[in-house]
Amino acid sequence: MKTLTMSSLGALVLFAVGCGSTVPPELVSARSAYDRASKGPSAQLNPAGLHSAKETLDAAEHSFDDDGDSQDTKDLAYTAERRAQTAEARAREMQAVSQKDEIVKATQAYKDSKGQQTAAELAQAKKMLATTSVQLENEKKNREEAERRAAEAQKLLAGFATVKAEPRGMVITLSGSVLFASDKSELLGTAKTKLNQVADSLKEDGRDITILGHTDSQGNDDYNVKLSQRRADAVRQYLISRGVDQNKVKAEGKGKAEPIADNASPEGRANNRRVEIVLGPKTEAK
Amino acid sequence: MNMKLGMLTFATAATAVVAAAGCGTAYPAPTQRLADAQSANRSAMELGADKQPDAQLHYKLSEEQIAKANVVLKDGDNKRADMMLIRAKADAELALALAKEAKAKQEAQQAAEQAKTQTQAVQGAAQ
Repeated sequence: MKTLTMSSLGALVLFAVGCGSTVPPELVSARSAYDRASKGPSAQLNPAGLHSAKETLDAAEHSFDDDGDSQDTKDLAYTAERRAQTAEARAREMQAVSQKDEIVKATQAYKDSKGQQTAAELAQAKKMLATTSVQLENEKKNREEAERRAAEAQKLLAGFATVKAEPRGMVITLSGSVLFASDKSELLGTAKTKLNQVADSLKEDGRDITILGHTDSQGNDDYNVKLSQRRADAVRQYLISRGVDQNKVKAEGKGKAEPIADNASPEGRANNRRVEIVLGPKTEAK
Repeated sequence: MNMKLGMLTFATAATAVVAAAGCGTAYPAPTQRLADAQSANRSAMELGADKQPDAQLHYKLSEEQIAKANVVLKDGDNKRADMMLIRAKADAELALALAKEAKAKQEAQQAAEQAKTQTQAVQGAAQ
């Protein structure tokens, strides 16, 4: 009876100790740390680390079951919390390393693709540059050629005609008295010789040619227009006969409408009687 | 009776000796655990845990616990020292992991900044 009483009392005392043990803060923290870690990236990235934390936490729980909040329980719980935190830190480190690798890879891929693109663009640019250079060179040659011809024409026509660059084009002005007898529209023999030189320099030229006949103000307007038209036509025909492309030459009689000098004086009237050869912009042959 | 008393005394003495011997050999000095904790602590320091803000606390805790464990070892409490060293090693390993994490994050950040600069340079060159 006495023995039974002692045993019961002992059990009661042990039970009271078990119930009275409050969960130490270390174990509370460890449970919470492990719970957080197991729900985070460690579960996928660092299962071994997480497992080690779990084992230590289990040991702490057993220790708590057996010994309550003993120093061993606290030490094991402390260690379990650190191991859970370590598992988390390792998982975050792995994430950062993988992030870095992805960035480096993506940057390299971008640079490679841009490099290829840039190489293609560079080749295209070089091609364009080469084409442009050829065009510029051709234009330069053409310009030099035109300037040379203009200079030659100037030289050839000195004393016979004037050559002037105007907004409407290059204008060769031939005096009417040099080309035609008074009131006539047939070219004089001397005029033909001079026109041969003009035709030679024009027939290789790609520009449109407009031949304008002008008279002074004397006489009937209608008559003057017709006379200036016949003279312009005569010059046109002659140039065509000397090899100038007929599709590029047109003739127009202006009559007295566009004087360049005063019709009151004989000199002025002589200047107004003229034929102008206007060289327009260069066009492709039709 | 005397004989009986003698036998009992021997048994008690033997039990006492065995018990004493048991106490002496049950918990050997945790020399390997000490070496492990010190090694983990050194590794953490080599990776800059003593200067990295997040890792610093755990590095210091590890150091302190190793020092305390050495004192307890001198007092002959091997078991207490052993538990302290387990804690010290766990702190050292956490400090090391936090230092490595910080380093990896910094490198990822640098890579992102470099990527930005290089991308802008490529775009600038293309224009």
